Parts: sequence; C-alpha cells; structure tokens
Amino acid sequence: MVKRKIAITLGIMCFLLTIALCVQIKTMDSASSTVSRTLSDNGLRDEVLKMKAKYDDASKELEQKEKELEKIRQAATQNDTTSEAKEKELKQNNMILGNIDVTGDGVEIVLADATVKNNLNPSLQIIHYDDLQLVVNELKNAGAEAIEINGQRLVNTSAITCEGNIIKINGERIGSPFYIKAIGSQSLLYGALTRAGSIIDWIKNDGNTAEVKKVDNITISKYVGTISHDYIKESK
Amino acid sequence: MKKFKIRGDITVVTVVIFIVCIVLVSVMFMQFRTIEQTEITQIETMRESELRTALSEWKTKYEELEKQLEEIDDKINEYNETIENNEETAKLIDEELKESNILVGKTDVEGEGVIITLNNNSKNVKAYDLIDLVNELRYAGAEAISINNTRVLAMTDIIDMANDTYIMVNLERLEGAPYVIKAIGNKEYISSILSLKGSGFIDRATTNGLTASLEVKNKIEIPKYNGEIKIEYMKELVKE
Repeated sequence: MVKRKIAITLGIMCFLLTIALCVQIKTMDSASSTVSRTLSDNGLRDEVLKMKAKYDDASKELEQKEKELEKIRQAATQNDTTSEAKEKELKQNNMILGNIDVTGDGVEIVLADATVKNNLNPSLQIIHYDDLQLVVNELKNAGAEAIEINGQRLVNTSAITCEGNIIKINGERIGSPFYIKAIGSQSLLYGALTRAGSIIDWIKNDGNTAEVKKVDNITISKYVGTISHDYIKESK
Repeated sequence: MKKFKIRGDITVVTVVIFIVCIVLVSVMFMQFRTIEQTEITQIETMRESELRTALSEWKTKYEELEKQLEEIDDKINEYNETIENNEETAKLIDEELKESNILVGKTDVEGEGVIITLNNNSKNVKAYDLIDLVNELRYAGAEAISINNTRVLAMTDIIDMANDTYIMVNLERLEGAPYVIKAIGNKEYISSILSLKGSGFIDRATTNGLTASLEVKNKIEIPKYNGEIKIEYMKELVKE
C-alpha cells in the first residue's frame, strides 16, 4: 500500500516537473534565438546606437547654434529700425515655414482604427491616408496656422502618402492612433470639425475613434529637416 | 525483516525524491533567470534587415542635420565678419528674407516643372482630386504649386462649394474646368511619379472618369500668393 502511494506520488511529481521543464525549454528556445541573433548582429546594433547618439549630439549642437545665430542677428539689427522690421518678418516667415517651434491655442484630434471590428466592410474601420488629408484640409479651411500629426509638422512640401498599408508623412512612418494638433481660432477649428456631416462625423460613423477637444497653449515643434529650394528662383 | 526492508526503501525513496526535487527546482530557477535577462530593448530585438533600415534611416537624418549645421555655421560666420559694418549686415538680412519669401510664397517664381490639365469627362473634377494631385506633387518634390494661377501654400485649403458647382482655393473662387495645375521642381522626377502606370495620378484620374494630361516644361512661372499671410494665433515657443 505504502509503496504504491509513494510510486503514484513520485509519478505525478515527475510528470508535473517534466511538463514544467518542457514548457520552459520551449520558451527558452524562442528566447535563445534572439540571444544568438544578438550575438551575430552585435556589430550592426552597435552601429545603429552609435549613429543615433551622433544624431542626438548633432541635434543638440544645432539647437545651440540656432540660438547663437538669433542673438547675432538681433545684435546686428539693434540700432537699425528697417533691419529690425526685416528681422521680425524673417521670424514670421520661419514660423510659417515651420522652421521654429510655435505655441498657441487650438484643437487636438485623436483618430484611431475601430477596436471592435464588424465584418461588413473592414476597410472602413481603419483610418486611411485620405481621411488624414481631409481632416487636414478641413483644419486649413478653418484657418489653422500650424498643424502637426504624430510629431510631424506639416510644411509646404509635406505629403501624406500610403505605401501598402503604411502611412507616411514627410517620409516618416506613422500609425494609428493619430494625434493631430492645430493652432488657430479655437471656435472656428472646433466648429468646423464638430458640425454635423463633418469628416470627423464620417470617421466616427464607420466605428472608428474620432475625438476633438479645445486645448490651450498647444506646442507644435519645428519641421525636422531642411526646407530649401533647388528649382524655384524669383522671376524677374 | 520484511517490514524493515520496506522502511529502508521508503527512506531511500524519500531521499531520492528530495534530491530530484531540489535539482529540478534549481534548474527551473536558473532558466527563469536566463529568460529574465533576455528581456531587452527595442533596438536589441530588431532583426538584421530591420537593423539595416534603422541604420540607414538614422544616417540620413544625421547627414541632414550635418548639412543644416554647416549652413548655420556659414551664416554665423558671415554675420560675425560683417557685424562691424551696418550696411553689410543689412544686406545679409535682405538676402535671408528674400530666400524665405520665395519659400513662403510671397514672390513670383519660375523654374522647370510640369503643367497638368484636369478636365471633366464622365465625372466632374472635385476638390479631392485637386487635394490628391497637390499631395502627389509634394511627394514628388514640387517646390511651388499653383491651381489656375492661385499659389498653393502650406496652409492652403481646397474645398467644394455650393453642391459641388465650384471649387475654392485659399477662399478664392476658381473658374470651372479645365483646371490648370503648375508645379516647379525636378521635371523628370515629377512627371515619372505622376505617370506611374496604374498608381500614378494621371492613370488614377483617367480611371475615375476625368481627363488628365501632363506637359513637361523648362520654364514655368508661378505667381505669388495674392493676399496677406496673417499670424494671429501662433507665437514662437520660448524655451527657458
């Protein structure tokens, strides 16, 4: 009797432990493939990290240099009223172009793909690039002065494109949820987006998330990249 | 005698079970720890191909910044050299202002590019067709765009009005079709993007029941924005 009990207990324990071991070995298998990849790709990984560090350094340096230039420009124009006016216009141009960080009152919009999918038309339950184009167009119509989508400032060369199922703005990948910020007249912007039959309404009716709210002191950062021109010149 | 043997067996078995348990448990703990250690950051878990893409992306961004840094250094040097001389500084400011006015759209500009003529066919041209075209031109690197000689700026809207009977751009009413869209930029590149078989704008417009034609030109003139660009709500963000 005692022997049998021991045998059974032993059997059950061995069985449980073996299962636990098997599960762990399986987990390890998938994890260790990462580990071995880590070893073989280490060089590449280091390069990426180094490049990123270099980028971060350069971007800090650029920020300082911009401040320096600003100071010099101001110093240079201090005792000269016409130059001062020009310097002011230059700054305004840079705000319009997206060369400097700006702040102001406006609206923030969140758009996100539907979480509960019904199978009637799955394509409608995703935010597409043309939805973003239409929302942006609506904001511009309501007098937006600066717009940003997921960190990408919209400038005069910004395109919202779709490659396969990836949306790109300024050549950078972005994905749902989309956070759109716009600075301008709060009442105009909010009114345009929340009126019945607006694009926001359409997006919401398809089951997607679309929220608009008024926000004070929105910050929109500058365009990452150079805005330059190689083909246009002033005509005589 | 028989009883004692069983007792001995039990002791041996208990000891064996105990040892086996300890070994197994310690093996399990060791494994847990290894798994914990393999929890790594995003960059660490990328595959080789992803790593290569990330590397080239960061490299491009870095090179872009380097270029900006060089430009800004040049400007600082120029200012420093001329800071003693008021006339010279005024000239520098004039030049910077002129450059940015070209980009903003405050001056008439010219250059090589393409002209697209869009007309009604089985369907009428709607605002979205123009939005789509402007977007594709920007993607192809257009530096200045106009629709029926109205300059398209960064914050320009294009909307259907009065039950789609006419289109407004920059709150200006456009003459009806045909719409003439001009774009200055690399003419070969723009025309090749727009003429992509099937997915380019020209083919898409044709499939959508419009007629679209494209002309490549060596010199196109685009007028300045015919209005005042006002800033009322945004101001510069001043960082401490």
